[in-house]
Amino acid sequence: MTESTRNDLAIETHALHKHYGDIRAVDGLEMHVPRGAVYGFLGRNGAGKTTTIRVLTGLARADGGDMRVLGLDPRTDSVAILQRTGLVIEKMLIPSMTGNDLVRFNRGFFPRWSDAHAKKYAEVLELDMRRKFKKLSTGNRTKLCLLLAMSQGAELVVLDEPTAGLDPVVTDQLLRVMVEDFTNEGRTLFLSSHHLSEVERIAEWVGIIDHGKLLLEGRLEDMRANFRRVRVVGEALPLAARPEIVSANTGEGTTEYVLRSDADAFTAQLISQGTTVLDVTPLNLSEIFLEVVGTGSISNRNARHVIMDPAAEAGSMQL
Amino acid sequence: MIIRVQPGLGVPIYLQIESQVKHAIAAGALKLDDALPSVRKLAAELRINPNTVARAYQNLERDGILRTVPGGGCYVNSQSPGLLKSEKLRRLRPIALQLAVEAKQLRLTRAELLLLLENSYDNLESQ
Repeated sequence: MTESTRNDLAIETHALHKHYGDIRAVDGLEMHVPRGAVYGFLGRNGAGKTTTIRVLTGLARADGGDMRVLGLDPRTDSVAILQRTGLVIEKMLIPSMTGNDLVRFNRGFFPRWSDAHAKKYAEVLELDMRRKFKKLSTGNRTKLCLLLAMSQGAELVVLDEPTAGLDPVVTDQLLRVMVEDFTNEGRTLFLSSHHLSEVERIAEWVGIIDHGKLLLEGRLEDMRANFRRVRVVGEALPLAARPEIVSANTGEGTTEYVLRSDADAFTAQLISQGTTVLDVTPLNLSEIFLEVVGTGSISNRNARHVIMDPAAEAGSMQL
Repeated sequence: MIIRVQPGLGVPIYLQIESQVKHAIAAGALKLDDALPSVRKLAAELRINPNTVARAYQNLERDGILRTVPGGGCYVNSQSPGLLKSEKLRRLRPIALQLAVEAKQLRLTRAELLLLLENSYDNLESQ
């Protein structure tokens, strides 16, 4: 990869590995987070999201592979990365400090710290800054971590499950703030989450991780424009082995294909073969996620479910 | 004008915005020279990525439906997009084909399909 493309990426990993004993928490991760993007890092519980974040910020050591965060290597430049990256996890905070104490404490570390933003976020998130961290509820601890991460003025902000434990009203306000303050001036916002409806709103790029591998990465609008569910009459699987087929289910006299691209050509060919096409429908992010991590939809649990693409097994696949 | 998007729909959000603006203009809710909210304002209101709004606005501008004044916002343009007739036909052909396919599968007659289309057209003109 050339130096110029590298500069366009805030985060880049190649064959990244992190093992805990026999567990391959990160298992050959290939990820590309463009500078200035809102990137949704999606995965189930235990898929490897938090471990990846820890490795990328130098809080855990990689067992193999290459990575660059803001052009730096976390193995040697962890301090520099943490200084330029808004990342706050609960373990970093001193429990006996109040929100206000933590703001004063953090301010000194970050040259671009903004008190105005800290004040704004305390209001938006409805957070009492006079309470000690250890006295806060789970949701309020999350809010304080968010406030500290977002007030640093960092060029890269990494939020791990930002909406976990937040009520719907605060979540909505948080999304507004993210759009207002983190989608300009080339700042990169990297969010890990499994709350797909929120990510679907604000993310421009999406990466889906499962068992430590990135199974799908691309622009969300492209995924939405290309993924299609095609239902046809008959169980004979007239078009079986084609690279654009993500899955095919049969049952009750119909076959249901999920395609990652070229649905128009696919249906045209089915129709020309005399097959009756029942409908062609788009998939939302949640449905795409279920297809890619391979569980399929619940109604088809008893039907035959075939992952057609060996590339999806082998590693990442770019749209 | 109130724009509402449903991210869970599967239809790209920028297409949802485009079709709502087109519909508002066709129905007379938006008139010539009416201002649209800025990209950043609409994005914050809808809690969506500004690039998504920008993409919708760019497509509408390319089609001659909106015009942007540098630093001065986004306005509704004259109502007939100045596209070549061949281009207009090229854009509608896939939709017409889809309509014909659906009608044929539902065993609608040619006359019934044409009547349906005429009714839809008349409804828009009467608004």
